[in-house]
Amino acid sequence: MTVRAEDLNIYFKTTPSIELLRPYADPANMSLLITGADGRPVKQGVVDIRLDAPEPGRFFSTDFPFVEGTRLSEMRMELRQGRANWKYLFPIRGEYRLTVVVTTADGGKANKDFKFYIRENPKKWFALTGFSIGLFLLGLIAGRVFTGAKSAMIALFAVLLLVELSRAAEPPRVQETENAGLEIGAATVGTPTAVRWFLKNAEIAGTSNALLTLTITHLEKEKIAFEVERIPVGNEFSMKFQFTDGAEYRVVALAEVPGKPTLRSEKVVGVTALEPPAKASVPALAYFVGLIALGLGIGRWTKRRAITP
Amino acid sequence: MERIVAVWLGLAVSEQTSFLIKSGIFLSVCGATLFVALAASYPAVHDTLHNVRHALAVVPCH
Repeated sequence: MTVRAEDLNIYFKTTPSIELLRPYADPANMSLLITGADGRPVKQGVVDIRLDAPEPGRFFSTDFPFVEGTRLSEMRMELRQGRANWKYLFPIRGEYRLTVVVTTADGGKANKDFKFYIRENPKKWFALTGFSIGLFLLGLIAGRVFTGAKSAMIALFAVLLLVELSRAAEPPRVQETENAGLEIGAATVGTPTAVRWFLKNAEIAGTSNALLTLTITHLEKEKIAFEVERIPVGNEFSMKFQFTDGAEYRVVALAEVPGKPTLRSEKVVGVTALEPPAKASVPALAYFVGLIALGLGIGRWTKRRAITP
Repeated sequence: MERIVAVWLGLAVSEQTSFLIKSGIFLSVCGATLFVALAASYPAVHDTLHNVRHALAVVPCH
């Protein structure tokens, strides 16, 4: 997918292509290329990047309802030969919006919105179809069993009391070098979290020529959720990033400072999960119970047709 | 046996009513089971069925 802005040319590309991307499959290589009117890459400038999650669907929720319609990441990167690259693991299906604002060294400015659709993993649709057929058949069999015999029933009602529990976030475990640090705010699903890397050592910070590699890994799924590689930063780099799953993530920063050994900072972040709202669960449950009811009706109908001469 | 008990208790109902009552209870039980399996946050159930919830595409999880 490639889209042009008016003054400056802004190209956006993913690898693999957007059509092949699936939620929580593999991280996509996101790439922005900014060129001037002559087609040459912009030599110096910064790009502000914002990624917004798809809006909630009309009826069914995705498996991460708190992510829907929220900001996923917000960061500023320096352009290198007109390019900005990063990796990102898309959390849900739907139409994402990427807002790009380019500011060149000579004061030129351009912005562009890119909208693109990430399709659901077909395995999930297959599983949903199989589950739906199973529920329908359950209802069908029950409908046939319940039809034809005159009997009495004594109804029993059971009330299920369910305790709502949220998994509390674990305190971050820190392993930092003396010269660089990582600051990560309290991480909760649905809310962008401030992620800040900075040089502590004043002597090193004075060089202000670090190349930063920042990687955020979903530990349970063992997948890279976000990554920037060797981007030029000053004494610090900060961004907002939404941890989309209530699980543990590892944030690792590797800074290459001229004349110094690589500075490594690491934190493991426990993300606070939120229980899905009832409005997200009800449509799916209503759909499943509706399928059983449909099966009951059709089961009765087929049984009565067989009985009636 | 079922019919004898029903008549003895004076609870005999028509076939249609019987079907509705049975279906109602059956749907209630199924709905409750589905709720516990797919929507309850009770940790033991959630952790066991976490992947199933995510695999069904339309079932919300944390």
